[in-house]
Amino acid sequence: MTARSTDTNRSRNLALVVLGTLIVLATYLYLVITQPTELAQSSSAPAGLIAMAGYLIGAVMLAAGSIHRLSTTTIAMAPVAIALNIVVGQLVAVLGLPVYLDSIGTVLVSALAGPAAGVVTGILTNVIWGLTLNPVPLPFAVVQVVIGLMAGYAARLGVFRTVWLPPIAGAITGVVAAMISAPISAFIFGGATGGGTGVLVGMFQAMGQSLLASTTLQGLLSDPLDKLITFTVVYLVLTALPARFKQRFPFVREYQVFGTKVPTSKA
Amino acid sequence: MIVLREVSYTYPEAADPALHGIELNLQPGSITGVVGASGAGKTTLAKVIAGFLPRVDGGELTGTVCVAGRNLAELSLVEAVGQVGLVIQNPFNQISGAKYTVREEIAFGMENLGTPRAEMAARVKQVAALLRISDLLDRSPYALSGGQMQLVAIASMLVLRTPVLVMDEPTSQLDPFGTRLVFAVLDQLQQAGTTVVIFEHKLELLQAHADRLLVLAGHTIVADGSPTEVLADERVDGWAIGSTRYTRAARLARGRGLLPVHGALPVSFEQAAATFGGAR
Amino acid sequence: MSSTLYVERASPIHRLNPVTKLVALLCLLVVVFAIPQWWASLAVLLLVIVPAAISSGVAARLARSAGQLLLPILVVLVLVQGLTYPGGRTVLWQWGPLALTTEGLMFALTIGARLVCLVLASVLLVLTTHPGDLMSALTEQGMSPKFAYIISSTLQLIPSFQARATSILLAQQARGLTVPSNPLRRLGVLMPLLGPLVLGMFTDIEERSTAMEARGFGSTARRTTLVPVRDTRAQRVARWVIPVLALAAILVSLRWIG
Repeated sequence: MTARSTDTNRSRNLALVVLGTLIVLATYLYLVITQPTELAQSSSAPAGLIAMAGYLIGAVMLAAGSIHRLSTTTIAMAPVAIALNIVVGQLVAVLGLPVYLDSIGTVLVSALAGPAAGVVTGILTNVIWGLTLNPVPLPFAVVQVVIGLMAGYAARLGVFRTVWLPPIAGAITGVVAAMISAPISAFIFGGATGGGTGVLVGMFQAMGQSLLASTTLQGLLSDPLDKLITFTVVYLVLTALPARFKQRFPFVREYQVFGTKVPTSKA
Repeated sequence: MIVLREVSYTYPEAADPALHGIELNLQPGSITGVVGASGAGKTTLAKVIAGFLPRVDGGELTGTVCVAGRNLAELSLVEAVGQVGLVIQNPFNQISGAKYTVREEIAFGMENLGTPRAEMAARVKQVAALLRISDLLDRSPYALSGGQMQLVAIASMLVLRTPVLVMDEPTSQLDPFGTRLVFAVLDQLQQAGTTVVIFEHKLELLQAHADRLLVLAGHTIVADGSPTEVLADERVDGWAIGSTRYTRAARLARGRGLLPVHGALPVSFEQAAATFGGAR
Repeated sequence: MSSTLYVERASPIHRLNPVTKLVALLCLLVVVFAIPQWWASLAVLLLVIVPAAISSGVAARLARSAGQLLLPILVVLVLVQGLTYPGGRTVLWQWGPLALTTEGLMFALTIGARLVCLVLASVLLVLTTHPGDLMSALTEQGMSPKFAYIISSTLQLIPSFQARATSILLAQQARGLTVPSNPLRRLGVLMPLLGPLVLGMFTDIEERSTAMEARGFGSTARRTTLVPVRDTRAQRVARWVIPVLALAAILVSLRWIG
């Protein structure tokens, strides 16, 4: 491959990432600002379609722009991380706990291999969930993408160098995740994504909140806690992984994700 | 074919080198066996020869590794793996995990390199016949026994027809029949001009099939010569590589007074025949 | 051996190229989400999904899998939106802050009908499509082979992960350790047991990626496939015709509604 075609590929990938991010943000802002509530009477573009198409196209563009940057080690790690997301997520759901814990693998990959890796792991988690057990999480793929992206940048800023920063970064990620996922819960599922969450949405609606406000409030009750736990668990897993394994990842070396315990000599 | 000059390698985050002072020159079309106690640096040497260190695992490599006259450091990883095939220790990790049949699993590498379909099909058929796994081709790679999986893992590298083949304990999961089969295949490859480096601890088979035997101890090469020569070296006990069953039998016989106390112990079948024949 | 819901049959739906099925699924979803009337979803259900399900030979399986997923969602939907829909005016029955309204029930019907289409159509695709074929077909259409690798590899990893987790649990029980019934405490018991398993899987990654590189995974050559994906000229045409038909259906219905 010539240097020139690598350059065009790189600018194409960057364009995909930028455009994908813009589409996701535009979708969210459009749905929040126009607040389409009375779906059946509305003759404007339907909110469910916009939420589904905007988020899905944005997420797919982000993933397509990210995949080419991943090393073979990252590609080999993604299946383990996704299986972890799904098996733990499923286990927690069966046990009936009030959290999801379905993004431990995504955050782990982001911390070791960066935001691009987190984006790919995130979207594929929900795609594979759709292929194996249940297509319902599929419209929420963008949320996992945002979690992967934020966890990756958090790692870059050095969040995983300390014990106390991961829970804070997790809670902030949870707030963003709640906001991004609210339009999906509202306009695609009518607030009915599960028994407990459905009751909460109904409660907020009965208190006079709009549908979107109700799903946002419901998300804010569970997502920050969920991501706080997730980031903390990831921190614990990372400390248990051998240093040699972690240092394999150029992202870890470049941004000193785990600090500088051993000064690396320049060759 | 493969030339290593003053090669040392240190893993990232490690204080001491995993290999140091390695000098090696391997002739094309030869079979070289490498033995050593665990932790002596066998897997590291295998990865250095195959061009994976330091570019995949990080760490620091000094000295030069040349394959077919080209410096490995100047080749891209894809060019390097086109020259040197690597069969890793654990066959479960050697298989891609992404294919639903053994047939496709064996073709995975050729698919990546863009080999035309008809050629892929022909090569899969040929290599499956060679390793006697033709009846497994339509099975799932996950439904195989350890030994079967190891043969599939070996087939998946052989099918790429690299001029050099590095094998890290390729018979660990195999029964004696499978082990002999693999060594017979190595003899065929050698006749076709392939350079083989095999990391093994089955000394009898190395003695019978390898042209040359290297001993790794303390992260460097401590002995290098024909297998018969190396196994008869007086330092052999200090290397913790064990001994052939011929040597063990002779030692036992000597302990019971069946053989004279002085003189070298046999290391090969031929020598054992001569020793025991002489004793009778 | 894979963990998808795929069921092998010799039906015309199974024989379709996976990309054709995917295009049909996406168009179908756009139609039901674009037309804000519940009868649009009903029409798609009766005219497209039901006939396809019957000819696929897996209709019973589809009804069972999709029913399990849909039933809780639909019950919650009707209760929550029927009783608390913010745009509800026509009150049918009231009890405190809860008011059963016609608007709420209509909203639940619209969303519910769409979800029925969404779940049935996507489960049908999964039931009738071998995951390996789906990945090969998408790679032929230009999807990065890295995506195909991750998806296929995960699908095969999940069952072995679950099997290993189960065997650890059984081993613990055999050693006389009981699994507590309290879910939080059960999680507390499970996590330390699963830890070594997960760490083992992560350290395997080193070898796995070495082996993948040794087999040219990093190559930028145009990938080839050993097994060709079934495709026909008619399907290549259909993949363009279906989106056009979907668009026409949306335009006509929106025009007609006014």
